[in-house]
Formats: sequence, structure tokens, C-alpha cells
Amino acid sequence: MFAYIVKRLISGFLVVTLVSMAVFALFWYGPSSPAKPICDREQGVRCIPERLVAYEKSLGYDNPIYTEYGKFVKGIFVGREIAFRTDVYQCDAPCLGLSYNTKQPVTHELVSRLPATISVAVGGAFLYLLLGVPIGVAAARRRGSVADKALVSSFLFLSSIPYYLFALLTWLYLTVLWEAPVVSDVGYFSPFSDGPLKWFGGLFLAWVALGIFGCTQYTRYTRGAMVEALSEDYIRTAKAKGLPARTVVYRHGLRAALVPVVTIFGIDFGSLLAGTIFTERIFEIQGIGYWSLQAVGNKDLPVVAATTLFSAVMLIFSNLIVDVVYSFLDPRVRLS
Amino acid sequence: MSQPTAPEALGSLTDETPIDPNSKKAKAITGRSPMQIALGRLLRDKIAVICAIVILFFIIVAVFAPLINKMLGVNTDTVFPSQYLDMLGGGMPLEGPPNNGFDPDHPFGIAPQTADDNLAYWVEGCRTSLTIAALATLFASVLGIVIGLLAGFLGGMVDKVLSFFIDLFLTVPFLLAALTLAPILNERFNTADSYVTIQKFSLIGVLAVFGWMGMARLIRGEVLSLREREFVQAARVLGMPTSRVLIKELMPNLAAPIIISVSLMLPAFVAAEAGLAFLGIGVTSGASWGQTIAKAVKYFEQYSLYLWEPLIGVVLLVLSLNLLGDAIRDALDPKTRR
Repeated sequence: MFAYIVKRLISGFLVVTLVSMAVFALFWYGPSSPAKPICDREQGVRCIPERLVAYEKSLGYDNPIYTEYGKFVKGIFVGREIAFRTDVYQCDAPCLGLSYNTKQPVTHELVSRLPATISVAVGGAFLYLLLGVPIGVAAARRRGSVADKALVSSFLFLSSIPYYLFALLTWLYLTVLWEAPVVSDVGYFSPFSDGPLKWFGGLFLAWVALGIFGCTQYTRYTRGAMVEALSEDYIRTAKAKGLPARTVVYRHGLRAALVPVVTIFGIDFGSLLAGTIFTERIFEIQGIGYWSLQAVGNKDLPVVAATTLFSAVMLIFSNLIVDVVYSFLDPRVRLS
Repeated sequence: MSQPTAPEALGSLTDETPIDPNSKKAKAITGRSPMQIALGRLLRDKIAVICAIVILFFIIVAVFAPLINKMLGVNTDTVFPSQYLDMLGGGMPLEGPPNNGFDPDHPFGIAPQTADDNLAYWVEGCRTSLTIAALATLFASVLGIVIGLLAGFLGGMVDKVLSFFIDLFLTVPFLLAALTLAPILNERFNTADSYVTIQKFSLIGVLAVFGWMGMARLIRGEVLSLREREFVQAARVLGMPTSRVLIKELMPNLAAPIIISVSLMLPAFVAAEAGLAFLGIGVTSGASWGQTIAKAVKYFEQYSLYLWEPLIGVVLLVLSLNLLGDAIRDALDPKTRR
């Protein structure tokens, strides 16, 4: 077990290193000059070749790429100083660079935007389970009935629509057209300074859109696993013992059926933490996804790099955690 | 579409005179290949047939887009937009929807502010959407099949390395990869003359590079089990070169998983194309449904038709592709039920 986790951590670390190298190399070799966006921003039309060269020199783009990558990695662990031409900025560890836009360390802003993304992810993931699992169980118990068929086909229909269009229509109708109370004031508000009600109202629609759309998958999985579990021998035994139906379904059946659901849940939660770009964009939530989208618009390359790295780390960790939890839930799975 | 153990291979060993395949007698006794059986099942599925007709409609629109626009007398080049717009009243169109009923010159109405013809842009958007999705599916499939075949068949070190790359690409979320690449490609090529084409092809490239993993995994799994089967071992014993074993023996057996993967990829790519354009990082120059949706959001209250047109296009296309894909999966594997 321990050896397995260490092995997975090493391979995860390798993946993160490769992703960071790829992102770094993309910025280095991709644009006509990696310093051009910042030069354009600060100098406007006066970003003449001489000034561009000065920017490149101060940002270290005239050094070989491996030297600069080394500095970048060193910055993550011990921090470093970054110069924009004549101004020198201190960037403490873990330093992911300075935003071209605000000249602030990227890490600070990442941390300040984290609560919004976590709020969206936790609420959305909670609804995935809260809606998906009971509906799936109910459908499995009434397998073959009209209600079951209607549910399965309507969920199939819903999950065949692109998510962002569903979210967009939710937002357009509820906040723009009908101006529903409380929930139409969308966005992220701090639950501490703005009050929990405002926080809840601002995120409510985002959660509902995510939850309803995402729960279709959970319903399908739960239903499939429950149908299988309920036809097992031990369920018949439990019924024969005279246990109440509720205990049979939830204690004996659901317990076995939940294992695959937990697996996809872990991965989904990881990808929600990695950034819900569409949700944050549509519901104007200032989280990490929206931030990276804005950074793309501003050509704020360090921010884009940092968000990509952040989400890769999130996904790797969630995968690792899922695998470990899985081995606890299902004793048949031996990891090492 | 033939199975390696097909009856015709045995037929040549017997000394019966070959039967004319078109004669009535031949029809009565010829067996049906698994693909024919699947097709038969598919044709009996009403939803699948309806979806196929809808998809066919979109394909026709996409293929003949310039012709259709010409026929309907609309085009994407707008001259003097201000003559069609109520510039004092927020740039809403003077004729046609939303305020003045139907305008026969512009059946779908015209866009606020720019006075672009919506129908012309819709038709061109359909073309963009399907071209990008189809090409991305093609490239991603080729990449996925080649990598899956190699990993599954060669095994050992090759498999380890390729599987690592599959996992690596699965780790990078597609949307963020597209987000990262978009500004870089923009920065590099925005002065080039063929920017529109470059943008489309870079989008196809991004979709393909981050879309092949599912196919590769599926193929790898199939090949792992197929390569231990007798007919593959027989082919090897006979001294067939590896490339021939792969193409002649394994590929026909991979038809079903390939078709299933393609049926998953196409709607995903159509949705991704529109989604990226909606975020402003896909096709930004030229027509795209997602781009029109993004523009139409702020006019939704006064001019909802402008939003509904591209939205229905995307939803209908993605929905029918998805449902047809489900039907194909059911037809190929009757054990799975929806």
C-alpha cells in the first residue's frame, strides 16, 4: 500500500514536471516573442524592437531555455526576484511568476480566487450525489416501470445537450428574464464579509445547473449498479431473513453499488476543482477558471501557465486519492 | 467488415460449384455478417433513423453551404450595415425580427449592430462546425488507432511508454489546453494572411491532440485480448509480417470499437468547437455558432431569436449525434441496454 502510494506520487510528480516543461516551452517557442504581450501592454504602439529587446533581456528571454526553466522551478521552491525592465519585484515561494497585468505574484491571486472555485466545486459535487444517487436507487427499485423509462430517457436527452448551453439558458431565463429573487444576483460573495445568504444566492444557480446536469451520469451509474446488486443472492438472503425493505436496499444493496459511483465522483470532484470555466464564465464567478479565461484575453501568459499547472496537479491528486479510497472500499482490489 | 472466421474461407475448400451471389437461392442461405445484423437493428430503431435524417440535413447544409446561401439570396458580406439598423435605438434591425415581423430578404433576421444576415451565418456556422468536428475526429481516430494498436500488440516497454502518454494527456484538461494554446497561436499568427485557415487548423489540431486517448485506450484493451486468440497466433505461425497481422487480422475485429469511439467523438467535438467559440478562444474570425451565441447573449431580452437560431443548431446536431451514437452502440452490442 505505502509502496504503491509512493510509486503513484513519483509518477504524478513526473507528469507535473512534464506538463510544466511543456507549458514553459510553449511560451518560449510559441509566440513571436514571449515578451511581446507585456511590451505591448506597457508601451502600446511604442513597443519598438529596441524596447522589446530590453524587455526580453530583463525577463531573461535572451538566456537559454533550460536556465530560465531552472529559475522558474527554483522560484516555486524558494522564491525569486523578477524584473520588468527597470522595476524589480520580489516573488516569494511558491512563486509561479508575476502576472503581466497586475505585477502581483500569481500565487497570491490564485489563493485569493480559490474559495470561489472550491465553493462551486463542493456545492456542485454535493448535488451530484444528493440528486443522482437517490434518483438512481428509486429508478432501480422500480425497474421497467413507466416512471423508470421516462426518467432514463429524459436524462439521456438532458445529458446529450452541451452543458454550457444548459447553464447559459438557466442563467438567461432565471436571472435576465425572470429576475428571480435572491438567486439572480449571481457571482461569488465572501460568506464572511457579505453574509452567507448572499454567498448562497450568488452560487445557487451555478450549483443547480452543475448539479442537475451532472447528476444524470450518477443516476445512470447508480441505477446500473443497483439493478445488478439487487439481483445478488445476499439480497435475497437479507429479504428472507425478514429485514425491512429499506434496510435491504440501502444497507445491503447500495453499499455494494456505491463503489463505482465513488470512483467517478472522485474524478469529477477533481476536475471541478481544476476549474469550471463554463460555469464560472456564465455565472460570473471570479474563480480560477474565469481567471484563466480573462488571462487568455489579456495575454497574461504567467497566469495561464499557473492555472494549467494548478489543474493538472488537482487532477493527479484526485486520481491518486480515488485509487487509494477504492482499495479501502473494495477489499478485493489490492494495490501493490 | 468481414470476420476472419467467415464462412467463405471454408467455402473454397469444398468442391461445390460457386453460387451466383445474386440468385434467390444464394440469398436464402447466405449468413449475415455482424455488421449487417447491427445495421438491421439500427434501421428498426425509430429514434436512430430520425437522428440520422437530422444529421443528414446538417451534412447537406454544411457541404453545400455556399450554394444554399446563393440560392436563398443571402451572404455573409454586409455592405453599409448602418442602413439596415436603427442606430439611435440600440442598433436593432429596422426590418424583420425582433420588432417588425418577417423579412423575406433575411428569413432568419439580421444581427444587431453589425446587420449580418443570420441565415447566411447559420449556414456557414454549420459548415465550420461539421468540418472541424469531422476533421478532428479523423485525425484523433488515426492517432488513437495507431497508438492503441502499437501499445496493445507490441506490449512490454512500448506499451508502458505509450500508456504513460495516454495518462499524461488525460491529466491535462482539454479546455485548459485549448485556453493555453489559443493566446500563443494568436500571438504567433495574427499577422499572417491566412489567419482564418490557420485558426481553424490549429483548433482541429488541439481537438485531435487532446481527443485521441479514449480511442487508444479502447483499442489497446481490445488488442490485448485479441492477440492471444487462435487466429492471430495462426497468422503468426504462418509467418505473416506484423504489419499484415495488424491490418488484415486485427483491424476487422476492431471495427465495432472504432465505430463506437467515433460516435462518441463527433458530438463531443461539435460541442467543443461551439463551446470554445463561445468562450472566445475558438473560431474568432469567420462564422461559428458558438461565436454567434456569445454575441447574442446581451441582446437576449430584446431579440431572443438571434440567440435561439445558433443554439438550436448546436443542440439539435449534438443531440442527434449523441442519440444516434447510443443507438449504434446498442446495435453493435445487444447486451448493453440503455
